[in-house]
Parts: sequence; C-alpha cells; structure tokens
Amino acid sequence: MSRAVVFGGAYAIAFFSFLFGPLIIMVITAFNSSKFPRIVPWDCFTTGWFAELFGNQRLMEGLLNSVIIGVGVVALAVPIGLAGALALSELPSKLRAMLYTVLILPILIPGVVLGISTIVLWGQISRGLGGAVQAGMYNGYFLTIVGQITFVSAYAMLVFIARLQRFDATQTEAALDLGATPGQAFRKILLPFMAPAIGSAAFITLLASFENYNTTVFTVLSESTFTTALASKVRHGTDPSLSALAVIIITITLVGALTNEAVQRRKEAELGGKASRSPLYANPLTRALTHPGVVFAILVAIVATVSYVGSKHDSSVCEAAILQDKLDRQAELRAAQKAKIEAQEVEQGITVPKPEGGFGGAFGGLGGAAPVAPAAPKPEGGFGGAFGGIAPPAPSE
Amino acid sequence: MPETSPVSSPDRSVLLDHVSIRFGNFTAVDNANLKINSGEFFSFLGPSGCGKTTLLRCISGFSEPTEGRVLIGAKDMKGVGPNKRPTALIFQHLALFPLMSVADNIAFPLEVRGVGKKMRRKRAEDLLDMIALPGIGDKKVSELSGGQKQRVAIARALAVEPDILLLDEPLSALDLKLRQHMRTELRAIQQQVGVTFIYITHDQGEALTMSDRVAVMSKGVIEQVGAPDQIYNRPRSSFVASFVGENNALKGIVKVQSEDMAALETPMGTFEARVGGGRKYKPGDEALLFVRPEQLVPGKAENAFQATLSRQEFEGATNHVFARAGDTDLRISMVNGGLAGSVGSTGDTMSLGFAPMNATILPVGQIASEA
Amino acid sequence: MKHVTRAYRALANRHGMGAALFVAIAVTLWVVVFITLPQLSMLDYSFRFNLPADQIGTEADHYTLSNFHSFFFNADGSLNRLDLVILGRTLLAAAIVTLIDVIICYPIAYILAHGAKGVAARLMVIGLIIPYWINEILRAFAFRVLFGATGVVNTVGMQMGLWDVPVDFIRADVALYFGLSYAYILLMIFPMYNAIEALDHTQVEAARDMGAPLWRVHWRVVLPIAKPGIVSGATMVFMLTAGALAAPQILGGPSNLWFTQVIYQWFNESSNWPRGSAYAVVLLLTCISFVLLMMRVFKVSVGEIGK
Ligand SMILES: Nc1ncnc2c1ncn2[C@@H]1O[C@H](COP(=O)(O)OP(=O)(O)OP(=O)(O)O)[C@@H](O)[C@H]1O
Ligand SMILES: [Mg+2]
Repeated sequence: MSRAVVFGGAYAIAFFSFLFGPLIIMVITAFNSSKFPRIVPWDCFTTGWFAELFGNQRLMEGLLNSVIIGVGVVALAVPIGLAGALALSELPSKLRAMLYTVLILPILIPGVVLGISTIVLWGQISRGLGGAVQAGMYNGYFLTIVGQITFVSAYAMLVFIARLQRFDATQTEAALDLGATPGQAFRKILLPFMAPAIGSAAFITLLASFENYNTTVFTVLSESTFTTALASKVRHGTDPSLSALAVIIITITLVGALTNEAVQRRKEAELGGKASRSPLYANPLTRALTHPGVVFAILVAIVATVSYVGSKHDSSVCEAAILQDKLDRQAELRAAQKAKIEAQEVEQGITVPKPEGGFGGAFGGLGGAAPVAPAAPKPEGGFGGAFGGIAPPAPSE
Repeated sequence: MPETSPVSSPDRSVLLDHVSIRFGNFTAVDNANLKINSGEFFSFLGPSGCGKTTLLRCISGFSEPTEGRVLIGAKDMKGVGPNKRPTALIFQHLALFPLMSVADNIAFPLEVRGVGKKMRRKRAEDLLDMIALPGIGDKKVSELSGGQKQRVAIARALAVEPDILLLDEPLSALDLKLRQHMRTELRAIQQQVGVTFIYITHDQGEALTMSDRVAVMSKGVIEQVGAPDQIYNRPRSSFVASFVGENNALKGIVKVQSEDMAALETPMGTFEARVGGGRKYKPGDEALLFVRPEQLVPGKAENAFQATLSRQEFEGATNHVFARAGDTDLRISMVNGGLAGSVGSTGDTMSLGFAPMNATILPVGQIASEA
Repeated sequence: MKHVTRAYRALANRHGMGAALFVAIAVTLWVVVFITLPQLSMLDYSFRFNLPADQIGTEADHYTLSNFHSFFFNADGSLNRLDLVILGRTLLAAAIVTLIDVIICYPIAYILAHGAKGVAARLMVIGLIIPYWINEILRAFAFRVLFGATGVVNTVGMQMGLWDVPVDFIRADVALYFGLSYAYILLMIFPMYNAIEALDHTQVEAARDMGAPLWRVHWRVVLPIAKPGIVSGATMVFMLTAGALAAPQILGGPSNLWFTQVIYQWFNESSNWPRGSAYAVVLLLTCISFVLLMMRVFKVSVGEIGK
C-alpha cells in the first residue's frame, strides 16, 4: 500500500514538474538581459523587458481590439448559451441528444474550419448586400465576434447545463402555485439561481474569446487581436518581452486563484458551521486577515510594491559591461577568422551576427548567442508562415 | 388584502368529477369521483406510487385530467393555470426559495401580485406571529430548523388566503417527535383559518388523527372514502382492511349469508361475521374474514377456536401476542392487565374468540403488504 | 417538429412567453446562422473555381470538383503525395499525442479522484488549472524557450557533454510534440477524473484485499468506469490537436507542415479560398469520421462529451 503512495507521490511530482517547468523557465528568462530568452548563460538581471512589452504598439492595439471583441462575444454568447441549456432541459431525450450533439460540435470542429466557414458565409452575404452594409459586416470585428460566438456559446452552455442540473424544478412550480406568472417565476426564481453561473460563463467566454487563435486568425482579416499579434510576434522571432508578458499573466492568475481560494474557504467554513470553531476565525485579527477582500488587497499591494521596485532597477551598467565583453570577444573572433581565412584561402565568408540583433526576426535565433559556434545552425526564426518552408502550390519537394 | 378577501364565507369545496389521469397507457388515477367539503380536513392515504401526488397536481393545476373535470367552488378549472387557481400547494420538500429571506419567502405571493413593500412586510410579520415564529423574518431559509421551515412554508401558502391548501406529505422529512407535534399544530392552524385542507400521506397515523375524512387509494383507484373510524372499523375492501391498521385475515368459503351477516367456513372452524361493503355472496364463494388484533379475546365464547402461542412482545401498555392456528399466523393485542394478565408461555394452547359485529367478511382481493 | 413545438409550449408554460421566445430565437440563430449556414457555405465554396471578384456570378462561376481532385492528384495525374502525406501525418501525430495524454493523465486523474485528500487535492486542482490561464501562444513559446538552440535543454545537454552542437529540436518536431501533449492535458484529465470519481473506492480496496495486483485492479475495476471519461477526453484532445494551428506554426519544423498550416497558406498566402475551403472540408470530414469510428469501437455516445 505505502509503495503505491510513494509511487503516486513521485508521479504527481514528475507530472507537475512537466506542467510548471516550462512556465517557470519562461518566467526566469523575463529577467535576463540577454536578447534571446534563456537562463544560462545569465547576463544581467533586468526589468527592461516589461518596458519593451508595453512599448509594443501592435500588441497594445491588439489588446484593445481583443477587449472590444471580447465584450461583444460575452454579450451574445452568454444569452445564447443560456438559451441552449434551457432548450435542452425541455426537450424529450432523443431530440435532446440530437440537439446536444449539434450544439457541442463547434467545440470539436477545428477552429480553422470555423474561421474559414465564417468568412466565406459572411463574405458572400455582404457581397450580396453591398454598400455600407458590406463595410459594416465584412470587417474583422464583426466576423471575429460572429465566428467566436459559434463555439464560445457552447462553453457558456456547458456552464449553464451544470448549474441547471442542480435546479429544483419544484421551485418554479412553487412560484407558479403562489400566483407568479411563468415570466415572473423565470425572473424571480430561475434567473437569480443562475446568477453565479452567468458570472462564471461570462468569465469563461471572455477568456475563450481572448485566447482564441485558430478561428480569429482567419476572421480578424487585416486587424489583429492580442493573441494574433502575439502569435505573429512569436513566429517572427522571439524575445524575452514575451516572457515578461507571461510573468504578468501568471501573476494575475495567482492573485485570482488565491483570492478565489480564500472566498471558497470562507464559504465552506461558514456553511459547515466550522467558522465558529476554527481558531483562525475566533481571533479577530486572523479573521480579518483571512477575509477574501483583505487577502486580495495584500496580494495587490505586494505586486504593486515589487513592480515599483522593479521599475526602478537599472541594469544598464551591467548590460554595457556584457556588451563590451561580447564586442571584445567578437573582435577577437573576427581576427582569428580573418587569420584562418587568409591562411586557408577559403572564399566563403560567414556572416557574423550583429550583436544589436535589432531586427530580431529571421536571424533572431542567433543574436550573438552562439559565439563559440561559428558554424551556426540554421536560424530557427523563420519557419511556418512568412518565410514559409514550403509554398503549397509547389507540389513536389 | 387584495381581491381574495372573504366577504361572506366562500365556497371552498372541491369536486372530482370522474377524474382519470393517464401517462401514455399507464393509468395513474382511475375514475376518481368524490366531493371534498368546504372547510374540511381531507386526507388521501395510500402506499407509495398509488397516484396521490398525481391527483394533487391535477387539483392544483399543474396537469389537466385526461378524463373528467375538477371543480373548485363549483367552478370548472379546465384551462385555469396553477397561478390562477385559489389553491396553494405545500410541496413534499417544501420548495422554500433559498435565495430569499424568510419574510421575502412569505411575502412572495404578494410581491407577484404587485403589493407594495410595506404592506408585504406587515403581512409577513402577521403570518410569522400566527405560526408562532415572530421576529425571524430576516433570517435565511438555510438557518431554520426542519419544523420552522415547515411552518414558514405553511405561512407562505396562506399569505394570500387560498381557499384550498394542498399538502403533499409535508411531514415526511421530519423526525418522529416533531412529526407528532406538527400534526396537532396543522390541525390547529386549519381550524383557525377555516381553509379546506387536502392532505396527502402514506402514514395512516397521520391520516386518521388529523382528518375529518379520509380517502384510501390503491393503484390509482379510490377504494373507500369515509371518516377515520369508519375506515378503520368498516373497511369496504380487503386492501383497506389490510392497509389501515393491523389486521388478521382468515381465508374461507361462505356458507350462508343473511342480510349483513354471513358464516364463513375456514380450516380453523366456521365463524360468523359482518359482511363488508354491502356485498352479496353465494354459498361456496371464497372470501376473507378480517379481525383486528385487539378484537381477539382469550376465552371468549363467540367464534371460539384454539391457537398455539408462538411469541410475545411486551410494549408497556399493550402486549403483542403472536399465535398460530392451523396454517395461519395471528396477531393479538392485549391491554396490559397488570400481573394477572399473563396469557401463558410459548407453546401453550390458548382459546380465542371474537364478536361477530367486530369482524368483517370481504371479497378476496389485494392485500397491502406493508401494513 | 411536433416535439419541437411541444417543447416550445412546455417552455412557455414553465418560463413564460418572453423566455420561450428568447430561447427559440437564440437557439435557431445559433443552430442555423452560426453553425449550419457557414458550413454549408464553405461546402458550396469548395466546389467553385477561384475567380476574381468581377467574374463571380457569371457563366464561369459554376460547380467543379477540381479543388478536391487536386487534393488527391497532381496535374499530371499522379497521386498528390505531398498533401495526402501531410494529412496522414497530422492525423497520426494527433492520435499519438492523444495516446500519450491518456497514458500520462490517467494516473493523475486516479490520484486526484481517490488518492489525494484535502489540501493536496485542492492544490492539485489549482495546479492543473493555472497553466491553462496562460495564453496558448505563450505556452507554445515556453517550449521554444526550452528547446531553442540556446534553450535550457541544449545548454544543459551540452554542458553535461551529452552532445556538443545544439540539437535542432524544432526541426525534429520534438518541441512540437511536447507542446501539443502539454496543450490539452486539462481537457483529458477532467472528464477522466469525473468518471473515475464515480467509482466507489471500497471496490478498489475489496479487489486489493482479494489479492489482485494493482495493474489488474485498474484494468478490471477502474478502467471500465473511466472509459467514457477517457473517450470524451480523447475525442476533445484529438480534435483540438488535429485542428491546432498556433502550436505547429510556432513549434513545428519548417519542412513538416501540419494540415491546418496548408489550409492557412491556401487562404492567406495563395488567396485561393475555394481550394482552402475544400481542404477544410477534407479536414473536417476526416476528423469527424475518425472520432465516430473511435466512438463506435469503444461504444460511447457523443452525449458523454463535455461532461
Ligand atoms: N409524468 C409522469 N409520467 C409517467 N408516469 C408518471 C408520471 N408521474 C407519475 N407517474 C407514475 O404515476 C404513478 C403515481 O405516481 P405519484 O407520484 O402520484 O405517486 P404517489 O402516490 O405520490 O407516491 P409517493 O407516496 O411515493 O409520493 C407512479 O407509478 C408514477 O411512476
Ligand atoms: Mg408523492
């Protein structure tokens, strides 16, 4: 028995290392001044990548677009999801299974397909209508909202179904029996019961909309959302400002998770009647300290302090030293190469990477990171899209 | 109070006019035909699944009868929704609204009728006084005890003074002590407000103690309607005889019948008893003789027979004696007569008898398994 | 249709005309305008020629099988190996990723359902969810940081002397497989967990008491209960992996395209929408058939998905 426990524990640790390892490494790279995200060798501790992140025009524009689209999606997908859940609750079982399949399908259909089908349909419709309607309809905002609703509504619906299953239908009947009209019973009994689910559905749909790439990359046309801007940045070369972004998101997540935990704990303690017994709640000081609002405030204060201190950190001296060091070594290297070339009469020169790495893109992968290996591997920045390995019309390779 | 205020005493009767309710091929209620009088405490008693709730939902308007009519106060209720009927239903699990305070629960019927906030609060407080729970209006429903919830549910149902209060096994979730207490309380409330109570239960104790009249149901059929003592002493079917109270059933063959008395030949002897339900038997017909445990008296000369004592259960005021006669197991209840009352010990032969008027001959039919 | 109107009336009786109307309109809109019409429109498009805007609606605009034909065959009539291989490899890789996820998630789902208690269980759930709050793109990026030429794996590997030239994990698709296996773990664990949680733990103990080895207990007692959860999770992971676009774009090697990338290129680089639509139809149909086949094999219904 205990062997199983040991094995289980070890496995869980290994599993969570897999889950968190990459994230932790990414977080650390956010504070290394190296132009390429890495932790060894370590150059200088810096907070400069955060500034770089906020200075990224395209990402910030995308953020605004994402918010606009997200609000639109939430406003439509939540009611639609609720309607779906209500419809399912009223259908006979066979029809119910059928409708459920249809409504859940958009979650399973590849996002690419949803995106394509959306632009194709609305492209045709708007072309048919023409004029101002076409402009209003055939644009990235409208198409993305419409495209995302298709599957985001299903997430909302799943939340509502789960909540609805716990609804006691006699509550509605009691209301009717006491003289409420069906509409009144709906507004005063069912909707208040669904309120928490409406909140979480709104949250989940907002997140899903924000996160989405596969559908959005088609429907957003020439605009960009936060996620598509992010993706094109990653595809065209990486730098640690993305790690800085991850740090921000992870921090927000942790603050949210801890606050939520405090809320849950308190709710449970109060429900279970443990509140009066637990020593934590008996002492007024600890009781106040474990209040979700206080927990949240403390966390925010910590984050704010750390951010403020971090923003004052100046790593320029250290970075200058590192840069100088690099330049020296490259000069050395160049001299050595020159000597080599002259000696062996090899006419093929090797492009020495520029230490500034200003255009991060196609050559971003090297960025002065491989001074010891002049026979550099192929740059890894330029695959997939823009510098596309294969253009599809070429049928043979 | 708005519209429902009673001017003169309104007609609070309910008439079930040949009501049948079917789900597909399944008949849940079969030709129920009875009248419940204004201001009466009326119970439907029957085992689980016999169609009690179905009938109640039909009266309160959640379903329409497949056949027949429901009349409340002599008005046909066809097409009148549950929110338009002068009925209020207390659900099996009460269905209090957990997201509202106690006062808001009680005032809900007023709220949906557009009564102002102040009036609602006042009425809620009056009703809380009536159910002897003053000052709990601002509590949450989850903070109440089982008995308090029960009373709040009643107060809520009475908030707009319905003509008929329907109660679907409202006490089944309570523990025994509280249940017995609430019986008295319910009866008192009913007498105070004068509303017709239609009460559903599978607990015969509840039905017999509280009701003016009881209808016994089995498999969708109403077997008998009558006052509690009639139901107990004058059962009209073997189901009623076996379901209500303890009973001993002896199987036999009718020899002669004269008016409302008959002689039944059983393996233990030939007994004379009252004929139940006004039936007519031909000699040779099979029938059952029911005699209650407390009617079997040791040493009685009428309808005497021999039995062997198999075991006793002493329960203070009563002594339950189990005996065997032929291949029939009998149950005898004896009032504790002090030290002199001993009937003997296991294996002893005893002589028993019963008065013909206190036993009933009924046609062979369904016997309730759980008595 | 009769059932639909009856359901509508039931809704109106229960929740009122307003609510019923709202449900009817919203669901119709969703099913017809958002789900069905776009797919039909895409299907229609896939049978058309790629015409300039001014020729649409003219005589030249008629149905054709050419888009599908050129998915299967080259212009010279030989098999279009390139696209077929990419599709096949995408499906195969997605199936492998799904299998990996089943294997690595099963123990965790079991531990979560029957091993961990109290704080540990809570921490585990939070630990599972937190990575999924982070943008999909950033998660892929994390694997690039890990597996890049100067990434941790290469530096550590080289420093330990395991290899001396940076290994191109990206070209070898190692990063991609890691990233994809990572990407949808949560969607595998939760349905599995829900199914396993329904198991009465005393059954496992009873089986252990009778001396059954651990693997046998799992094979005979736990797995049958977990099956619907596994199939539900596997369906989602498979569909999402096969339909993934971001991870292959970020982590995939330049010469091994994912089928979604081919579609993407037809749309965004070659501007050949009909051809892209045809490829999307092909992807959709193969994925759905694959999943239906798997459900048939494991005898599980679609209704299980999403629970
Ligand atoms: N909507 C329905 N559809 C089909 N059959 C039903 C429906 N409602 C009730 N029944 C059936 O009708 C019969 C009577 O049910 P009902 O709920 O009235 O029983 P009951 O007497 O209230 O029992 P209990 O004491 O257990 O509450 C049962 O056999 C039940 O299965
Ligand atoms: Mg019932």
